[in-house]
Parts: sequence; C-alpha cells; structure tokens
Amino acid sequence: MSETASSQTHDPQALHEGMTKVWGNPRGIRALSVVNHSTLGLRFMATGLAFFLFGGLLAMLIRAQLALPGEGFMAPEIYNQVVTMHGTVMMFLFAIPILEGLAIYLLPKMLGARDLVCPRLTALGYWCYLFGGLILASSLVLEMAPANGWFMYTPLSSSQYSPGLGSDFWLLGITFVEISALSAGVELTVSILRTRTRGMALHKMPLFAWYILAMAMMIVIGFPPLILGSILLELERAVGMPFFIVESGGDPILWQHLFWLFGHPEVYIIFLPGAGIVSTLLPVFAGRPIIGYGWVVAAVLTTAFISFGLWVHHMFTVGIPQLAEFFFSAASMVVAIPTGIQFFVWLATLWLGRPVLKLPMLWILGFLVIFVCGGLTGVMLALVPFDWQVHDTHFVVAHMHYVLVGGMFFPLVAGAYYWLPLVSGRMSSERLGRWGFWLTFIGFNLTFLIMHWTGLVGMPRRVYAYDGAMWGFYNVISSLGGFVLSAGIAMVLLDLVLHFRFGKPAPHNPWQADTLEWAVSMPPNPYNFASQPPVETRHPLWNTPELPRTIAEGQHDLAMYSHGRRETLGTDPLTGKARETIHLPGNSFLPLFAALALAVVCLSLLVKWYPLAALGAVVAIGFLLRWSWINGAHPKAAPDARVQAGAPPLHSRTMDGPGLWCMGIAMLANGALFLSLLFGWFYLWTVSPAWRMPDTSPLPWVWLLVGGAALTVGMLWLERMVSRLRNEKDAGLASGLFIISLLGAVQVAVLIATLWLAPLSPTETAHDAVLVVALLYVLIHGSLAPVLSLLQGLRVRYGYVGAHAPYEPAIVAWFWRYTVGTYWLVFIAVVLMPGLMGGSS
Amino acid sequence: MSASRYAFIHPYHPLHLVIGLIIWSKWFVIMYGGLSVACSVAPPRPDQGALTLINLGLGVLTLIFAALLAWLAWACAQSARQAEGRPRFFALVGSGLYVASMGATLFVGVPVVGFPPCI
Amino acid sequence: MSGIQRRLRRWVNLGRSVIVPAAGLGIVSLGLAGCAGDHSTLDPAGPAAREVAWLWWAMFGVSTVVLFGVVALWLFTFWRSEPAKHDAAQEHRIARRWIIGGGLLLPLVSVVALLIFGVPVSKRMLPIPLPGGEQAMVIEVEGHQWWWEVRYPGAEEGIVVTANQLMLPVGEPIDFHVTSDDVIHSFWVPRLGGKIDMVPGRTNRIRLEADRTGTFGAQCAEFCGPQHAHMRLHVEALERDEFDAWLAARQAPPEQRDEYEAARGAFLEHCADCHRVAGVSEGQVGPDLTDLGSRAALGAGTIPMYDGAIADWLKNHQQLKPGNRMPAHVHLEAETLDSIAAWLETLSP
Repeated sequence: MSETASSQTHDPQALHEGMTKVWGNPRGIRALSVVNHSTLGLRFMATGLAFFLFGGLLAMLIRAQLALPGEGFMAPEIYNQVVTMHGTVMMFLFAIPILEGLAIYLLPKMLGARDLVCPRLTALGYWCYLFGGLILASSLVLEMAPANGWFMYTPLSSSQYSPGLGSDFWLLGITFVEISALSAGVELTVSILRTRTRGMALHKMPLFAWYILAMAMMIVIGFPPLILGSILLELERAVGMPFFIVESGGDPILWQHLFWLFGHPEVYIIFLPGAGIVSTLLPVFAGRPIIGYGWVVAAVLTTAFISFGLWVHHMFTVGIPQLAEFFFSAASMVVAIPTGIQFFVWLATLWLGRPVLKLPMLWILGFLVIFVCGGLTGVMLALVPFDWQVHDTHFVVAHMHYVLVGGMFFPLVAGAYYWLPLVSGRMSSERLGRWGFWLTFIGFNLTFLIMHWTGLVGMPRRVYAYDGAMWGFYNVISSLGGFVLSAGIAMVLLDLVLHFRFGKPAPHNPWQADTLEWAVSMPPNPYNFASQPPVETRHPLWNTPELPRTIAEGQHDLAMYSHGRRETLGTDPLTGKARETIHLPGNSFLPLFAALALAVVCLSLLVKWYPLAALGAVVAIGFLLRWSWINGAHPKAAPDARVQAGAPPLHSRTMDGPGLWCMGIAMLANGALFLSLLFGWFYLWTVSPAWRMPDTSPLPWVWLLVGGAALTVGMLWLERMVSRLRNEKDAGLASGLFIISLLGAVQVAVLIATLWLAPLSPTETAHDAVLVVALLYVLIHGSLAPVLSLLQGLRVRYGYVGAHAPYEPAIVAWFWRYTVGTYWLVFIAVVLMPGLMGGSS
Repeated sequence: MSASRYAFIHPYHPLHLVIGLIIWSKWFVIMYGGLSVACSVAPPRPDQGALTLINLGLGVLTLIFAALLAWLAWACAQSARQAEGRPRFFALVGSGLYVASMGATLFVGVPVVGFPPCI
Repeated sequence: MSGIQRRLRRWVNLGRSVIVPAAGLGIVSLGLAGCAGDHSTLDPAGPAAREVAWLWWAMFGVSTVVLFGVVALWLFTFWRSEPAKHDAAQEHRIARRWIIGGGLLLPLVSVVALLIFGVPVSKRMLPIPLPGGEQAMVIEVEGHQWWWEVRYPGAEEGIVVTANQLMLPVGEPIDFHVTSDDVIHSFWVPRLGGKIDMVPGRTNRIRLEADRTGTFGAQCAEFCGPQHAHMRLHVEALERDEFDAWLAARQAPPEQRDEYEAARGAFLEHCADCHRVAGVSEGQVGPDLTDLGSRAALGAGTIPMYDGAIADWLKNHQQLKPGNRMPAHVHLEAETLDSIAAWLETLSP
C-alpha cells in the first residue's frame, strides 16, 4: 500500500518548471480564467475581507447612532437598512465565504492533493459570490437596501409591508451567493473523501479535514431550506403566490421554520471551522499530538447532527406548544456537551504538552474566554422561560456576537497569523500583533459584555432611538468599546498589510507543524506537490521531516508532466488506497461566463424584466452544458488514456470516479430542498390557520401517472445501459440514450399540459401555489434529465463515451433516479394523500 | 465483491459514526412531527395535564429508540474489543456516538413526562 | 411581603452587587441606573418575572465560576514552571479524567439541573385552567404598526377598548390573548414576565400576574418596521376596586360638552374615518381615542402627556414619529388642530 508509483529521483528544478508549465496561472485578462484552488482561495478570502470592512463600517454607524438616545443622525428607514445589511453582510458575505476560502486554500495542501476535485466549480462559486455580494451591497448605495432585519420575517418583508426592492435584493442576492456555498460544500466533501494522498486513511486525516467535512455536509443539508424559502418568498412578492399570507391559507411562521432550519445549523457551519483551526494550531503550540482524536471526531459529528435539531429555539416566543419547545430546549442544551468535550480535549492537550504563547496562541486564548462566555449564555438562552424574557433584546445581540466573534473571528485571526508565512513566505510583526490583539479583545468585551446587561434591563434590539434615562449609559460604553474594537482590528490589518512589505523572510515550517501544508514551498507553487507523498500517520512532518525534499525531488506519486494533464490521486474514502488518477480541467472562462449569465438573471428578476431573465437562464445553462461537454475523452480533457507505469487508471475510464460522488452530494443538497418543500406542504396542511384544501384534487392523476410511467421506463432502460457498460458492452448505447431522452420528453409534455390545463389559481390560495411549485420542481428536473441523456448520446456519437470511457452515463443515471424518485414522491404527497385523507384542513 | 457490497453493516465501517445520529434525527422528526399532527387532529383537554395518550405514545417511542441505540452501542463496543488499528478506531468511536445518540434521545425526550402536549 | 419574597429580594440585591465587579464597571453608575428603569427584567413585579430573575442570578453565578475555572486551568498550563513527566498510560488516564469529568459530566450535570429548575418556571406561564377549574381573567391585546389595541371582553356592557395603555388588577393571574392586525409584533412587559409574539391569523396566550401596584414599561419586542422603536405600552397595575372603577368608567360614553361642538365637527370631518370615540365616531383604523385625555403618553410612548401635548402631537407627529400611519395634517389650520386637541384633552372618563 505504501509502494509508490515512481521511486526514482528527478531534478527538482526541471520538475518544478515542467509542473509550472501545466499548472501555472496566466496573467492579464486571462487571470480571470484561473481555476487553481490556491488562487481562488485567496480571492475568496480577500473578497471576504473587503466585505468584512464594509460590514464593520456599518457596525460603526450603528454604534454611532446608538451612542446617544435621541433620534440620532440616521432616519429610521436608513438605520434599519444599515442594521439589516450589517447582519446580512457579516453572515453571508464575510463569515461563510472567508471560511470556505480558507478551506479551499488549505485542504488540498493538508490532504497531500494538488487541487480540489472540481476546479471549475471553485471558480463558478467565487464568481457567484462576488457578483451576488456586489448586487446585495449595491442596494445600500442606492438606498434601496432590505430593512427588515437579517432574517427577513414575513409578513414584514412581503410586498404589502415592504413594497420597494429591498426584500428582492436580499432574496435574489443571497440565493445567488448561496450557489457558491453549495458548490464549495459539494466539492469540499468529495475532495476530502476522495482525493487524500495515498495511504491517508480516514482515521489518519488531519482533524481540520473532519471539521471541514462536517461543515461542508452541513452546508449541503442546511442551505437548501433557506434557498427554498427565498424562492417561495420571491414568488410571493413577484407574482403573488401567497405562501406566507394567512388569509389565503399561507402562514408567516413557515418562513421562520425554513429560515431557522438553515439559520441554526449556519451558526455551527461558522463555528466548526473556527474550532477546526483551534484543533490544528493548539497541538502545534503545545508541542504534542492532540489528546483524544477520536473524542474530537465524535464531538464534531454530534455537533453537526444535533445542530439541526435546535432551530425552534429561535422561535420560542411564536406560540408553539411548550412540550415541543422543550424538545428543542433540551436539544439546545445537549449540544453544549460536544463543545465542552472539545474544550477539555484542548485543555488536556495543553496540560500534557509544553505550550508556548506565540501570537496565534494568544488569539486562541481570546477565543477561549469569549467563546466560553458566549456558550454559557447560549445554554441560558436555551432555557425557555429565560429566553422569553431576553429574546429579541440586546442580551441576544451580545450572546450572538460572543459566539460568532469568539467562535469564528478570533480563531480566524489566529489561523491568519499561523498560515501567513505559508502564503507570503514572511513573518508578521509580533509587537504590532500583540497590540492588535489586546485592543480587539478589550474593545470587544467593552462593547458586548455590558450589552448583556442592557438587554436584561429591557432594551429591545433593532431600535433606532431609545430612552436615555434607562439605557443611555450602557450604550455609551458599548459605543466607546466599538471604536476601541475597530482600532484593534485596524491594527491587525495594518500588521497584515505591512508584513508583505517589511516582514522578515520566514524559515521553512516556522512553527514546527505536523501537517502536510507545510511540506509545500513558501509561498506555495500552483501544483502544491511535485510528487504526492504517501502518508501513514497523523503527523507526517513530525514523523518524516525530509518529506519536503523527497516531494520536490519527485520521489513519490504522479511526478509527471509530459502529458500536459493536471493530475491528482483519487483514493479510497476509507483506506486511502490509490484508485484512480484524477485528471483535472485546466483554466477556463466558462465559470466566469456562466456566473455572468446568472448575474443577468438575478438583475433582470430584480427589475422584473422576465424575458431577459429567461434568456440569461438559457445562456447560463448553455455554458454549463458546454462545461460538461469538455470532460472525459474530449480532446481538450484527456483524449489519451495512457498513464505512468504503476499509476492507477484515469478516473474518466472507470465507473465510480469522484464525479459520481459529486452528483450524489449535489443530489443530497437537492433532496434537502425537496424535503423542505414537502415539509412546507405538510406544515401548511396541518398548521396553517386558514388552509383550504379542495375536496377533490385539481390535478388529473391519470395523466400524471402516464408521465411518471414514461419517466420510470426511461430510468430503467438507462439502468440497463449502465450495467451493460459495466460489463464493457456499448452496442446500441447512443440510440438507447436518444430513446430514453424521448421518454423523458413525453413526461415533460404531460407536465406542461397539466400545468396549463389544470384549474389551478396559485395567486388565490396557498394550496394551489404549493401545487404549482411542486409541479415546477418536477418539471425542471424532468426537463434536465432528458437533456443530459441526450447529451450523452451525442458524446457516444463523438466517441467521447463508450466502453472505453464509461464514466458519464453512470453519473447521469443518478440524476434520473433522483428525478423519478421525486416525481413519485410529489405524486404521493400532493395527489394521492389529499385524496385518501379528504379535503379541508 | 459480495462481501464489500454489504461492508457498511460491518461494525468497523465508518458509517457507524453517523448511523446513530441519523437515527436520532429520525426520532426527533417523528417526535416533533407526530406531536404537531396529533395536536392538530385530536388535541386533548388542557386540564388533563401531561397524562395523555400523546405523551404516552411519544414516551414509548423514545424508549424504543433509546433501546435500539443502546443495543447498537453495545454491539459496536463488543466488536471494538476484538479489533486493532482502523477497525478498532471506527468501532470505538461509533460505539461512543451510539451512546451519545441514546443520551440525546433520552434527554430530549424527558419533557414528555412533565408537559401537557398541545398548549 | 412574605418572608420568602424578602429573602428572594435580598438574593437579587446581592446578585446585583456581584455583577458590578464582574462587568468591570463603575458601581455608582450601575446602582443608579441599573434596575431603576421600568423595563428591567431584574426588577420584577410579578411571580413569573421574579422566578426568571432568580434563575438568571443562579445561572450567572454558576457560569461565572465555570468561566473563571476553565480559563484559569488553561492559563495555568502556560504559567506553571515545569510540566510533570508522564508515561503513555498516565497520559491516557489524565486525559480521560479531563475529558470525561470536564467535557462530559460538567455540562451534563449543569443542563440537567437547569431543566429541573427551569421547567416549573415555564409551566407557570401556561394558560391552563386555574386550580378549582375557573378561568383566569382575559385581556386581549392586538398589535398594529405601531400601536397597541387593548380590549376587556369581560366588561359588563360589551367590550371596553383602549389603546397604548393596559390596566390590570393586581394579585390575580391574567390570560393575555394576543394577535396582530398586520406584521408580527411581540407583547412584552419585562417586569411581569416573558414575551409572546403577536402573529397575524393566530391568537397566542400567555399568563402573567402583577403582585404589586404601579406602572411598568412595555415595548414591542419583535422588529416590526420603521417605527418599531416607538411602540410602547403603558402598563398599570391597580387594586381590584380601583380597576373595577376604571373599567366601569369606560363603559359609558364620555359626556360631551357643548363648548366643543365645533371641534367635534372638525373631528368628524377629518379624523372620524380612522379613530373611534365612543358615542361620536366608529373609525377602526387608528387607535381608539375615547379616553385619550387620561393617558400617560402619546404616539404609543413617543411623547409624554403634558398640557398642550395633544396639539403638539397633531401638528408635529410626522417629525416626532416619522413614517407613522397618520397623514401629516398640513392641510389643516393650526386653530382647527388646537380646538380638536382641546376637546380630546377633555376625553377623560
């Protein structure tokens, strides 16, 4: 298993030059086509930093307004926009993207890989983030920003009470940005599971990878409910489908469920990478391996799951039965236990090590104080009667900042100081850094510690003016603290900027770390590893300090560039045995173009130019299909299947390569969206106060049965094709795929006819509105499935797919299975069940 | 290949790290969903307090799930004793996670004892 | 005041003096301003709020100990002179002790204790039948952008309606039935107990009780739009007989004197479509004004009541509470507004 493909030594310089020719970044305008994870990770983080400054500026405006009790310098509408945008920017445009950027930058290096598994997806994610973020931020400049608070509660955010474009900016912009989160979620998951270097078994991978794996899977499951909620609310605002309007059978509380189904896991999506940074840095500064690796893995997984059972604790005051509230209350308390375990794992590691207080460690101590404090108030808030008192007061504002700033920002800065030498090859100033830390730490506590008290003595959140006699003093303190805090952050940023110019050159592996990212050059070259080293332990650099040299000399896997392909090892998710040679696509403008087309869709939906939106969507799909075309045996991808002697086969010549996993994870996200839709349906059915269900279904069930039958036959046929491919038979593959697509088209025709002819009035009742959305969901999938199989048929004709390259039909088959599954679930839920259980609520 | 096809039910497979938590999630959904449906279909009188069929049903459900998780934890712990290296790691952590899931089930289920179900 | 209550009060006071050094703030300033406000959850005027305040101080005490303990342990590992040497087995034992003792048992015991103490506090606010089977008194509160409508359905002659003020009898549990006319608001009287959201299309219920007379502040707690900051409610607990008198006085329409005939005419022309004055107009859009002259504040707590406050409000309300739903009265002469204000001031049953 540890046997490497090539054990001869290369000339490091020649190897480096050859690799750089294949992997190097172009300059000038072509820099926009870069797909390399290091470059994109840095772009993510730099953009996140810019949005952080923007959000921080908004925070200063808030603190300036609240420094004095009177009406302040901002009118209420402006103040509300600023408050809403502060929360939105910090959550969606700073915290999550910058952590994704960090993971995108670091993970391949830690796993001994050369890039993430879908480099073009990384680029698409970045552009969607950038464009979506800019669209959202522009709303504030136009004074049209959303003003309903960052969780956009209906009906305040509905068209009746927020007639402007503010809510639309939020809903469309955030959904656009979330494409980037989802794509990062999918590819980080698959990269962690399938591209670790040879020998790195699941229980040997760095803890950071476990944390990011949990975070990525949580994004995959947690973001879709909000995307669905945003789509529904935008449909309500744009065309009047009343999902959240009580009189028409909708329910504003449904929005809260969908929002917090996302919103609570999101807190942990932000915290887990922070904790991952701590678990990575702390053992290095304690000079020993972490104690209780297994405990940490268990704690991370428990947190990831239980955090999906807490969302109602944001809704304790909406009038849910107390018994149900206490389920969520108890679950919210349970989640304190895995966090407690991590804190004591860290303590035990320090206890049994010899910790040194370097600058990154100082920030981790700051994290300790602030996050433990936030965690403790979190447990208090989990208690229903206490929450009833302080919910929606400044106590919650304080708690949330303790958790988020403590749990994410402090570890992030610790990580920044830790990995800066890797990025720049220079050390930052210890002196300036300590000033920055103490100012930030003191400023933060000055701002937010007293805010607990402000809330306890009754000050509600999100007020632009307040009673000075009651709350004036505390707000002055908070505002003063806010400015100290920003001085501290400015100091940190100054340090960061200056170090690129004046920092001392860093020695190699300056902290004597154990993980593989320190085995690459400083700053890293675009291919990370000239040869991919085998890893048998959790601490490769502690156990094999000569790795950097042997890697550069090409003594390990895939030290070859003459074929001009970008390659990285595909390994078994459990054992780390090498399974495939994954060939990765090179630089491409397609992600940028697709994202630009999506930006056109987003903007034209915003200004309600629907024909242009439709055109943009078609163009975007066109780019994405073109993208999928340049794969596998395509001349621009890997027409030549030969590999180095001893190396595993190219992934596109196998049948369970990483693409299959990507499709699986993407369908998991899609399934989460679908389940949220079903949840919405059953929720409205059982709980909505004025729900109206007709006595007989308005849908022609016989037709739908026919459509479903056509789809199912298509899927079964495709299954047969795939299993024949598995046996290396491809006779009749192309024509079979064409007929399958035709069967899919029959189903599309049936669905369109149903939507056209059925007596549905989706703007009158929430019932019909949900039916229409469910049918549209099925229709979109039912239309995409035949397009994909048609494309495969064409690829067979072009000779890109066949017994020699059987990879893609198996992936398309997954999409077909998913489509058929959701079709029948929709049929059961909206046609059969109402028929069986009768009408009315 | 038939052995590897069912490898996931083997106690040394890393899926055991998540099966317990998935069971916990299912239980949680059934509890919350069941309570909501029961309260919308047949809410008991408020003066019955916590002594209702709904509470009883949810309580029994909780115990069944907890028992299932306890058995799985025990099975994994047994397997861990006979293994070394990677199998032992996953069986041991898996067992711990079954215990955690069981604990979470019992702890989150306890309020069934004390509250009237629908107000 | 019973002995237990006195002891509780002493605990609360003791706690107050604890937070000061912990928060690192000047004792004087906190002592002056700390609990004096009539919105403070820590200056309870009812059993529910009192129990929650007690819970807070208990949780605060335990949390402070945990925080300082954990931080001290971490810091100790940096500042101890030389860590002891351990072999692998010892290390394993020490690690397990920390992880199981600190990571598992400490939080577990804490949350179990928290639930044991917290559940009864929570159940108290449930609107279940009182012991003996009788129903508690009901007061209905409806939220509007940005004011409160308060109704007393139990009054002898139909329903009594008022706005932005809530009178209640002291010493008895009251079920508040709350809902909203537009967006989601939240009903919260901090000194009496927890809040409950006012959701359009639903009626939520919460049981609260005042155990002493006095006035308590209340403010909408769920963000409800531009004037969320100016949606206050004046809450006043009266002895039962005073409360009965107050309620009775509102059951007859206010007496109308002839000298305000012209003002009433102007009111009927310009204001009556939206505002109700019992016996004069039946508008349902804005707050009921039947007893406006007796209220403590105007504009849902935007300005206090004083001589001439109503006239100032009528002239400047869009400056005082920008964006409120009442149109600016630019088309009306100042004298007309003054006369309407003078009449409204007399509406004080």
